Amino acid sequence: MVFMNQDQTQVSAVPADASYPLDLDGPDSGSPLPDDPSHRAYVTMLFNRHRVSLHRYLMRLVPPDDAAELVQESYYRLLRHGEMVRIDAMARSFLFQTATNLARDHHRRRATHRAPLHVPIEDEEIAEDHSGPDEQLAGEQTRALLERAIAELPQDTRTVFLLHRFRDLTYPQIAEVMSLSARTVARKMAEAIERLSAAMSEAT
Amino acid sequence: MSGLPEDFKAADWFAQARGADHDPGDEKPWLEWIADSAHQKAYENCELAWELSGELRGSPTLTVLLAGADALVTRQRAGAPAARPRWRVPVWQVGLAASLLAVGAFAWLLMSRPTISEYSTAVGEQRAVSLADGSTVFLNTDSTVRVALSRNLRRVELSRGEALFSVSHDPGRPFEVHALQGVTTAVGTQFDVELTRGGAAVSVLEGTVTVGATGTATSAPPVAVTAGSGVGYTQEGAVSELRPAEIPRIQGWRSQRIVFNDIALDTALAEYNRYTHTPIVLSDPALGSRHINGVFHIGDEAAFLSAMEQGLHLKATRGAAQTVLEPEAGYAP
Repeated sequence: MVFMNQDQTQVSAVPADASYPLDLDGPDSGSPLPDDPSHRAYVTMLFNRHRVSLHRYLMRLVPPDDAAELVQESYYRLLRHGEMVRIDAMARSFLFQTATNLARDHHRRRATHRAPLHVPIEDEEIAEDHSGPDEQLAGEQTRALLERAIAELPQDTRTVFLLHRFRDLTYPQIAEVMSLSARTVARKMAEAIERLSAAMSEAT
Repeated sequence: MSGLPEDFKAADWFAQARGADHDPGDEKPWLEWIADSAHQKAYENCELAWELSGELRGSPTLTVLLAGADALVTRQRAGAPAARPRWRVPVWQVGLAASLLAVGAFAWLLMSRPTISEYSTAVGEQRAVSLADGSTVFLNTDSTVRVALSRNLRRVELSRGEALFSVSHDPGRPFEVHALQGVTTAVGTQFDVELTRGGAAVSVLEGTVTVGATGTATSAPPVAVTAGSGVGYTQEGAVSELRPAEIPRIQGWRSQRIVFNDIALDTALAEYNRYTHTPIVLSDPALGSRHINGVFHIGDEAAFLSAMEQGLHLKATRGAAQTVLEPEAGYAP
């Protein structure tokens, strides 16, 4: 959280089809960018490859104007992050996770600015959430769809998913606990993700 | 990434990328695949599903499902003695031995020099305390706990109020919460203990605990309580039948909110008054049977009183010692 300054939103919006390079110096608050040309080159390449997809992804989480801003913020965040795994699929995961966290911060800031102090229970199903709706990007419908999709997974598939997602167990660890091969664990993870992503396309 | 099937779909790629055996050797198939816009869209759905599913953490449904997955891990680890030190007992035996351990607790504590700390909250205050073993205690309003951590045991005494315990997993060192003459024992889980009028209430959010008596008045064996369930027990430690855990109420107080879901006004006020020095009382006890709904932020009395006025037509008169609610003049319920 070094360079993000919520009162300073002078970072410019990036049109969905704009090409890079970006404003590489970024907002002038916060720490200076690390001077590592190879890291910068890698992050910029990663961005050029996945930016359109990231923008489309963020559009599903925040209002359109904010999505463009968050694309740019994600870029700066990665630039400042320093070294990262240079395997594209993994780097992309890291990028999307970073962007999602930024979207969540953004959502929370907006929510705290205009949260009413008294909310009728009909409007806020508190029984359904843990950390409070201000901190969550998923709406009630999305949550319900995801929850149902998880509950309806075949038992082994569900166990694989839950242990990986919520207990941070690696595939080999899950394989050991469940007496399965690592390959089977990967296949069951794919099956879980397939069903959950179907729920996501239903949600939007 | 050799030998990938031709028909690898988005979810397959996603699962593959999260696998530890991901081979960076040849990224070409992936780069070609992800360059396609339709593939990207499918992959975005996977990423969205993955990221947003994390927000379900703590939801009642997920809590119950996770308990099932955890049980499998616990069973498997208990049954796999290979890498374990010999003196460690299987997890299931820890559960059975919990009450025995409780008897010997003081002897153990003395032998291994526990560090003892006391934590309290004032009326209206809430506080999270991180313990040295990685567990967290969330103290609700007007509460006190004493924590003793030793090499062999984690022991907490709740002497006032209510606390939620998020217990780090350590089968070799049970986590005990003593309240009145009852004890709740866990090895790694999340549960809430509240001192109530005449007894205590336990709600389990994650994992399993056992609840039993410490005194001699009751000889019944400890009761196992799993995620989503709860029990009450009397002053003497007599444990009730299983009942649903008070999950909405507990999640409410953890986020500084009081949740009233169609409950009687007098019960609601008793709960509300736990958080304030100047209690709110009714001018006529008969008003207490009316029902109330809503989510209120702890500490925002103005919003609560205004809801009373608008929803129930009860007018508040603030005094030094208490605030009195009475029916609005001319309004017949």
